Amino acid sequence: MTDLKHLAPEEVRALAATAFDVRRLCLEFVTNAGWGHIGGSFSEAELLACLYGGVLRVDPQAPDDPLRDRFVLSKAHASPALYATLALAGFFPVERLATYCRLGGLDGHTQRGQCPGIEYSGGSLGTGLSYAAGVAHGLRLADNFASRVYCLIGDGECNEGQIWEAAMSAAHYRLDNLIAVVDCNKVMAKGKVSDLMAVEPLAEKFRAFGWTALECDGHDLAEICATFHQAKYLEMRGRPLAVIAHTVKGRGLPEAEFNYHWHTHAPSPEQAEKFLADLNRTYGRAEKFSRPLIAPIDGGLEAVITADLACNPRHLRP
Amino acid sequence: MKLSYARKSLREVFGETLVELGERHKNVLVLDADLNTSSRTVLFKQRFPDRFIQCGIAEANMFGIAAGLAAQGYVTFPSTFAAFATRKALDQVYVNTAYPDLDVKIAGSYCGMTATECGPSHNCAEDLAVMRALPHVKVLDPGDNRELESMMHAMMAAPGPVYFRVSKVNAPELFAAGHRFAFGRGHLLREGRDIALLGTGFMTAIALGAAELLDRQGISAAVAHLPSIKPIDEEMIGRLARQTGALLTIENHRIFGGFGGAVAEVVARDYPVHLEAMGLGDTVFESAPLQDLLRHYELTPRAMAARAAALVQRKRRASAA
Repeated sequence: MTDLKHLAPEEVRALAATAFDVRRLCLEFVTNAGWGHIGGSFSEAELLACLYGGVLRVDPQAPDDPLRDRFVLSKAHASPALYATLALAGFFPVERLATYCRLGGLDGHTQRGQCPGIEYSGGSLGTGLSYAAGVAHGLRLADNFASRVYCLIGDGECNEGQIWEAAMSAAHYRLDNLIAVVDCNKVMAKGKVSDLMAVEPLAEKFRAFGWTALECDGHDLAEICATFHQAKYLEMRGRPLAVIAHTVKGRGLPEAEFNYHWHTHAPSPEQAEKFLADLNRTYGRAEKFSRPLIAPIDGGLEAVITADLACNPRHLRP
Repeated sequence: MKLSYARKSLREVFGETLVELGERHKNVLVLDADLNTSSRTVLFKQRFPDRFIQCGIAEANMFGIAAGLAAQGYVTFPSTFAAFATRKALDQVYVNTAYPDLDVKIAGSYCGMTATECGPSHNCAEDLAVMRALPHVKVLDPGDNRELESMMHAMMAAPGPVYFRVSKVNAPELFAAGHRFAFGRGHLLREGRDIALLGTGFMTAIALGAAELLDRQGISAAVAHLPSIKPIDEEMIGRLARQTGALLTIENHRIFGGFGGAVAEVVARDYPVHLEAMGLGDTVFESAPLQDLLRHYELTPRAMAARAAALVQRKRRASAA
């Protein structure tokens, strides 16, 4: 991408196609796993498409380049969208997405080093921004002034006190190579953020902690890129930057939008087909899943005990 | 042997029993950190909205608030995933609740490997070890629905902090109606001479299955269920050690410092015999369904029977030597 501030129409179309494909792939492998976070993955899809579509300085062929930008997904439950984005960007084969939540496969919450492009072990909310501040601080100590650290956090996640400890320390240490992106999707696991534990006004909170704060529509690709452009060329003067991206949890699926039921929930194969039809309608596409969807059955403790009791005891060697 | 499996999960019984406790005891308060429909404290929230305190995704804060409320005479039930109750808010629990011996009853939901696909951050095979090390805290892992219900009534009559485990598992029924939980008391489920299999939580069902497989091989295994890990039934452990000379424990937890560790402390001091622990070792958590995890970590009746048979062989060789 040549000019983040003024995207060409075909560049916007390409990013939109990525955001659509991320959603399609998420539906497919989450359904096949029978588990996953659709809502928070769909709210961040455009943000990830822009970050990996030109904002972040990363190279899938050199994922460990010391001069790369770092990306930390603090809201690591929304790993499906990140896995899908990384696969589409060429960090690993798309086929690997089918291992999501299988033994030896991609973990439900991201684990550092599990596959190229995953920088951070997450899942315990509130911990990512401190980690990102540590990475940013480390880059400074190593005289790396080329790399930036982007950390994606949730608005519900801002309930965690550690977010504000991180905010305080990043400002104190003047980490202007750190950018917190808030996927402000208004809904947490069991209800609306404003009902369960209100966090607004977020931009004012970050400013009060010594940060610069910008706001944007987190689904408007041109606006996201223009905001990140501004972030790149903003005179940071020692202040870390927060980008408050206003988004819709479950964006793209009328049934899931702002619906906390779809925070952690996998669709049935039939639901997934309907959801793909919704996506096709919304984004003007006509895609199909790459293979038939099959929801797994976990027989749990009962299946394990029953199967063993039916086994031939002669096979039971010490 | 035919085990009958509960139609309700342990977490459902936890939610329903909380409502019962709320009806009986007006000083019961429930606290949540954005997980109430998962933990099933939502049932209490619906029945007693004014006695339900939503703390948001802020566990450390929730455990501080729970302790402060307990100091005002309330019995508080702060509830979240075991991972966050023990690994995340440990200092708040230790300083604010355990040390001053306050009436906080901590339900660790999705304990052990029962957070399944959530993977390493949400599964918690360290909670028993961590909580057992805190002063004043009683540590419990119920075997089935009846026991969980009885346990929750018992903890209302026992002042001070309690940590107990809950999960989404539909546990096999170990006990008939009228079963009574008591702190520090174990239950002998099956007599045996050659080895004793000791279980806690729903893992006791694996031990029962293993005893059945061993019986088909001519090995007589006793099975004991010890839901109270701290205090633990030292008398029963000593008796089984003397009677069989070989003990094998199983838990939904790491083998470091948990149930097996608690048994080992008693055995080493009172009656050293052959002893092994089954659980997770020094390994990473996979993200997968429960049936796959149990098999992957070799926590199945077959695996336990094989370990037990080997242990019996070792015992016999040692006594022949």
